[in-house]
Formats: sequence, C-alpha cells, structure tokens
Amino acid sequence: MTLADYLPIALMFVLGVGFASVAMYFSWRIAPKKPTPEKLAPYECGIVPLQEPAQRFPVKFYMVAMLFVIFDVEIIFLFAWAVRFDQFGWAGIAAVGIFVALLIETLVYVWKRGALDWNVARRARYRRVVAPERVQEEAA
Amino acid sequence: MVAVTAGDWFSTPENYVFLAIALPLVFAGWRVVTSSNVVHAVLYLVGALGGSAALFLLLGAEFVAWAVVLVYIGAVVVLFLFGIMITRAPIGVEVELSHPLRVRISAALVSGALFVLIAIAALTAFGSESIPEAEVTRTADIGQSIFERFVIPFEVVSVVLLAALVGGIVIARRDPSPEEIAAGKETL
Amino acid sequence: MIDYHALAPELLLAGTVLAVLTVDLLRVEKYWVAVVGLFGLFLSFIPVLTLGFCDTLTFCEDTGTRFLFGESYAVDSFSLVLKALFLGSAFVAVLLSVGYLESDRFWQGEFYFLMLSSVLGAVVMASSRDLVTIFVALELVTGPTFLMAGWRKGDPRSNEAMLKFFIIGVLSAALLLFGMSLVYGTTGELTFAGIRAEAAGIRGGDLEALFTVGVLFTLLGFAFKVSAVPFHFWTPDTYEGSPTPVTAYLSVVSKTAGFVGLLAICYLAFRDATFLWGPALWVLAAASMTVGNLAALRQTNIVRLLGYSSIAQGGFILVPFGAAVAAGVTDVQLEEAFFATVTYLLIYAFMNLGAFAVIIAGGNRLRSAEIGDWAGMFGYAPGLATMLAVFFFSLAGIPPLAGWFAKFVMFRAVLSVGGGWAAALAIIAAVNSVIAFVYYAKVVKSAFMDPAPEHVAVADLARMPTVPSLQFALVLTVAGVIVLGIFPGIIAEIGELTKTFASGF
Repeated sequence: MTLADYLPIALMFVLGVGFASVAMYFSWRIAPKKPTPEKLAPYECGIVPLQEPAQRFPVKFYMVAMLFVIFDVEIIFLFAWAVRFDQFGWAGIAAVGIFVALLIETLVYVWKRGALDWNVARRARYRRVVAPERVQEEAA
Repeated sequence: MVAVTAGDWFSTPENYVFLAIALPLVFAGWRVVTSSNVVHAVLYLVGALGGSAALFLLLGAEFVAWAVVLVYIGAVVVLFLFGIMITRAPIGVEVELSHPLRVRISAALVSGALFVLIAIAALTAFGSESIPEAEVTRTADIGQSIFERFVIPFEVVSVVLLAALVGGIVIARRDPSPEEIAAGKETL
Repeated sequence: MIDYHALAPELLLAGTVLAVLTVDLLRVEKYWVAVVGLFGLFLSFIPVLTLGFCDTLTFCEDTGTRFLFGESYAVDSFSLVLKALFLGSAFVAVLLSVGYLESDRFWQGEFYFLMLSSVLGAVVMASSRDLVTIFVALELVTGPTFLMAGWRKGDPRSNEAMLKFFIIGVLSAALLLFGMSLVYGTTGELTFAGIRAEAAGIRGGDLEALFTVGVLFTLLGFAFKVSAVPFHFWTPDTYEGSPTPVTAYLSVVSKTAGFVGLLAICYLAFRDATFLWGPALWVLAAASMTVGNLAALRQTNIVRLLGYSSIAQGGFILVPFGAAVAAGVTDVQLEEAFFATVTYLLIYAFMNLGAFAVIIAGGNRLRSAEIGDWAGMFGYAPGLATMLAVFFFSLAGIPPLAGWFAKFVMFRAVLSVGGGWAAALAIIAAVNSVIAFVYYAKVVKSAFMDPAPEHVAVADLARMPTVPSLQFALVLTVAGVIVLGIFPGIIAEIGELTKTFASGF
C-alpha cells in the first residue's frame, strides 16, 4: 500500500469539490442578490425574528451527542480488534469483553436514569388524559 | 533516513501533496481562532481536522487518520455545535471576546517565543530527514499492539468513558426534588 | 499468560466500580452504595498485602518484581506501597463523604462511583512503567475529580471550582501529552527503561534540544497536577469551592498520583538527566514552599488555609527532587531522595486527611469555615479541638507526631547530597517550616485559648454528635499520625522496601 493507492480517493475528492463549486458558482452568478440584515441572520429566510431563537435547547440533545461520542470511540477500538480477531484468541475476546461490558453498563445506567427518555412531561399528561385509572393505581 | 537536497525536494511528489494539504490546513487553523462567528470557527475546525487526517494518511498512519475523521470530525464537532446551541451564547458575530491589547501583546510574545524555540529544536532534530518510504501501518498492527501490549490502558480508557458519561449526566441533569427522592422517583 | 495475582487489586477495584454503579441503580437505601464501595476497597487491599508479603506465604510464588506486558506494567514494592496508600486514603475519603452527602445532597451513588473510578486510575498509575499507561491512568485519576468538584450544582462557587479545575486540568494534560510525544519522538521508546537507555545516546546529538523540550513539558504537566508554584492558581479557588470531602480527596489522592508520576518519570525514565529536572524542580520546590506558606499566613478561611498549606507541603515533598541539582549526584543519594519523597507522601496522606476530617466535623457544627468562628472550640468540643491540634502540629512537623519524621527524612536527603545549591534549598525549607508553624499554631491557639464568638451557640454545639463514619475516619487518621510519629521505624521499613523497587536504579 503506497500513496498511489489513494489516487482514486483523491480523484473522487477533487471531483466532488469541483462539482459542488461549479454548482455553487453558477447559482451565485445567476441568482439576483438583494441582501438585507434579516436575510443574513442565521435560521431565518427574510422574516424579522420576533425574539432570540429558543432561549435554551433542551440539555437532552447534549446527552445524546455525548452518548454518540462515547460509542463512536468504542467503535474505533472494536475496529482495531475486529480486523484480526482470530489472531488475538481468547485473551483478545476477554479484553474486548471487559471493554464492551463497561460500555453496556454505561448504556444501562443511561437508560435507567432516563437520559434516553424524551418528553417525560408530555407522556405524563397523556397518561392523565388517556388512562387516568392507571395513574391512580400508581399513586396508590 | 536520507539527507534531502533542494533537487530532491522538487522531484519528490509527496512534497507537493504535503503542500497542497498543509497550506489550507494552516489557513483553516488561523481562521479557527480569528473568526468572530463561532459557527464559522467550528466549520474551519472541521477543515483543519480534515487536513490533519490527510497528513496522517501521507505519513502512512491509516488508522489514526480514520480515527480523526470518525471521532473528531464525526463526533467532537457535533458536540461543539450542540455546545454552542444549548448555551445562551449568541450564535452570530461575537465582539466581546477580545482581551485588552496589553494581554494580547504579552500572549503573542510568549507564544511566538515558544514557537521559535520549538521550531528550532525540531529543525535541528529532524530537519535533515525525509519521510522514509515505509509501508503503511496496517490497522491490524495497531490492533496487535493494543491487545498484546496496551491491554491495561485500553481497559482503563473504557472506565474513563464510563466515568465521563455518568458524571456528565449528573452535572447536566436537574436535581430531583426531595419529594421525588422520598417517593423513590430519583430515576426519572 | 497473564499474571492474575499481580493484577488482582485492579481487577477487584474495577469490579467494585461496576458493583457500585449497579447497586445505585437498584432501589435500595443509598448508604448501601457507600458500604459496597468501602467493602470493595477493603477487598482490593487484600491482594496488595499478599503480593507484598509474597515471600512469607506458602501459596504465593515469589518472583520478585513482576513485569507484565513487556516492561510497561510493574508490580514491585514501590507500586504496592503506593497502592496501599491510595486504597487507604480512598477508604478514609469515602468515610468523610458519607455524612456530608447524606446531609443535603443528591446523586450519592454516582459520587462514590466517580471517586472509586478515580482511585482505580491512581492504583493503575502506581504500576505504570510506560508513557501511554501513565497518561491514561492519570486521566482516569483527574477526569472524575473535575465532576466531583462541581457536585454542589446550585452553588456558584462550586461551579467556579469545577470550571477552573477543568480548564487548567485539560491544559496541563495537553502540555503533558505534548511533552511525552516529543520524548517518544526523540527516543523512539515508550517504556521508562527504554527511554532511559536511549536517552544516554541523545546527549550532545542533534536530538538533544527537542528531547529537552519534551522533558520540560512533561515536568510542566505534572507540576500542574501537584499544584507547584507557579502552576497553582487553580488550587485555592478549587479547594474552597469544592465540597470539602472532595477537597480532601484532591489534596491527598489526586496530588499523590501527580507525585507518583513525577517519581516514575524522573527517577526511572530521565534518571540520567538529573541536570535537566534537578534545577527545574529545585525552583518549583523553593517557590511552592515560600509562596504557599506566605499566602497561608494571610488566610481567614480554614479550607483556603489548608489549600495554601497543601501547596507548601507539596513544596516540601519536591525538596528531595530539587536536591538532585548538585553535579555528580550518586545513585545512593538519589535512592535516599526517593525514599524521602515516598515517606513524606505516606505521612502527608494521614495528616492531611485527618485535618480535613476535623474541618468537616467542625464545619458540620459551625456551618462556617471562617477561622474566627473556630475560636473557643476546646470549650464545647474538647475532643475535636484536640484532634485539630494533633493534625495541625503534625503538619507543622512537631515531634512526636508523624510529621516530624517526614521533615527529618526530607532534610536528611538534601543534606546528604551536600553542595551549595542543596544547602540553600535546605535553608529555604527550614525557614519555611518556621513560617508554617506560625499559622498552624495560630489556629490551634485560637481554638484552645480564645473565647467563642458571640454568635456561636455554644450550648447547642456541645450537644451535637459527630457522624459515626466521620468518627471512624478520625480514629484511623489520629492513630496513624501518633503511631507513625512514635515508631517511625515502620515507615523506615516500608521505605527500605521501596528503595529496592523496580530497580530501574
């Protein structure tokens, strides 16, 4: 494997960038341009925003992103194991087993603590409206 | 390890590839710290990370390159964007970030001096060497060293990840009220 | 084949970490989490003992130093002594946390989980003999402590403590990693033994400048971890803002972990580069002692006072390193210096944890950390006031409390090296011991002789009990400080063991 083997990837990259820039260039050339501050604002398309966009995003987004990063890192390590797992034998399986067990514990923890639970409030309201008898049972 | 002369430099194709990667990389890095729009800064960061991944490929370190792409570009940048979005920082242009001139000058002096020092040290150490035409380091070889020699750090990393996530959730979540705890609803 | 006996402490502790998190998820009373944690710490202490006394046990095959995974993980007497220190300190730190967390905090299970993960990192660190392992272990030590520092989420000072600690911690990790990468790049080796062998050939060559930069950055990274002046700015704020048990943990376990890294790096990897780290650590030692003590003199908050005092104590611990500044320092003298640092760390753990236990117990009653409010404590809580005196005088180095032996060994190590620079360091240390005595004694005097301030309801305070777990912690530490002070031979014995350690010497 040498640098030359990356040539197709490089070509693909150049073609991709080239196609995107050509398309963007022409749309920029052809389209009429009448910028106003409102149009340049993020998340807007010409309408004056009435207020700052969402005071705060729910912190759940962040937790999901965090989970994603952690399992992403896990995949990197599993990748290193998977390419030649037969060679590492039982010791390798034990090592990966402990690693995965710890990450499963992560998942269990997250699940039990309800970090994957969206719309807790809405579901509670739904239960009150749709199944009041169940709510009463639980309270009792 | 071959000594490099000027003639060699121009006749080695790797050098042109290196330039094609390194110049945009430096530009992107510069823009990361000079953009006054936070979101633009993050996008330049993507460029800078992509450039460094390409440099790793050039050095034959495939696994590291793809790890940079997957973990940094794929995940960490997403985390950055979420971080920007969920905090109350204004998303547009940021003007309040600048320090007084006095601080900026001393910071520039210190970092400039450090840069010169390390650059000179690095040039004396490796200035006369070129990248050997070595084989690409296979991912399987990395796997081998992880599972034969670095088993302990590998397992420790998983505990670090677990601790980071658990702690992160505790810090990010609302404290349950005393009534909720009394009712055994702490897990909600 | 993996030597499972050698890895038993780590494996048991890792099991405990998982068990703690699992127990927390079950719906049981929260104190069970602490009980499981304490039991696990005790359990992982047993293999440390069986490994340590391997030669006297019939079932144990004594193989001397056990190296695992090449030369990157060593189980030797040095690492065993420090593992014992870490496990013991963590045991006390958990005891300190129980009452504190039960009083008004949530998320107790997670707290113990994080603390035990951090201890696991420290235990791994004691055995690490290569750059990768030591770095990852150090991250495991510090990562959870960032979060623990911010445990009181509603308190802005706790938030500030966490944020400052986190930013400085990440910065120092980056510096450390940069330094390590340069060391690896110039030597091509990751194990300490390998680096030491390669470093000899680097001297005078093209690589020397870059290698020097690498060594200095590595030291810099650890200097942040042990909060040596001038890298100490985060310390007082973090110590004051964090929950007090976390402060106790930070000032003992986390700091000791930093020193273990420094010991391993300096004496094993850069053993032949004393001319590099000797002068650097000489300066850090002198600056830490002086700045820490002078700042402590002016404190009115007792936690802050102990924060600066721990910076100064860090300086004392660095003194034996600084003694290596002398040209032509011999192996025997370095051994002496190594022994002095390990001894100081052992005794420091007892007395500092004890001091924090007293502060937590006193803080529970007074709800104040102002030194003025502690006046007259002898009147209504004579036991607590006496223990305050014991720990503070031990920190000051008054015989027959353990602190004197730590200082004695430290001075002996410097003076045995001799030469102008070492002598100068000894003089600085001596002057600082006197300054330190002033502020320790001031607090004790105020607790014993001054009348209690009027807003302190003496009658109520006299009736307030101390939480049992806290009492247990106090008994353990007081016993340690007094026994080790009267029979320092125990420590000397342990120290002799660690000297013959890893024998990278």
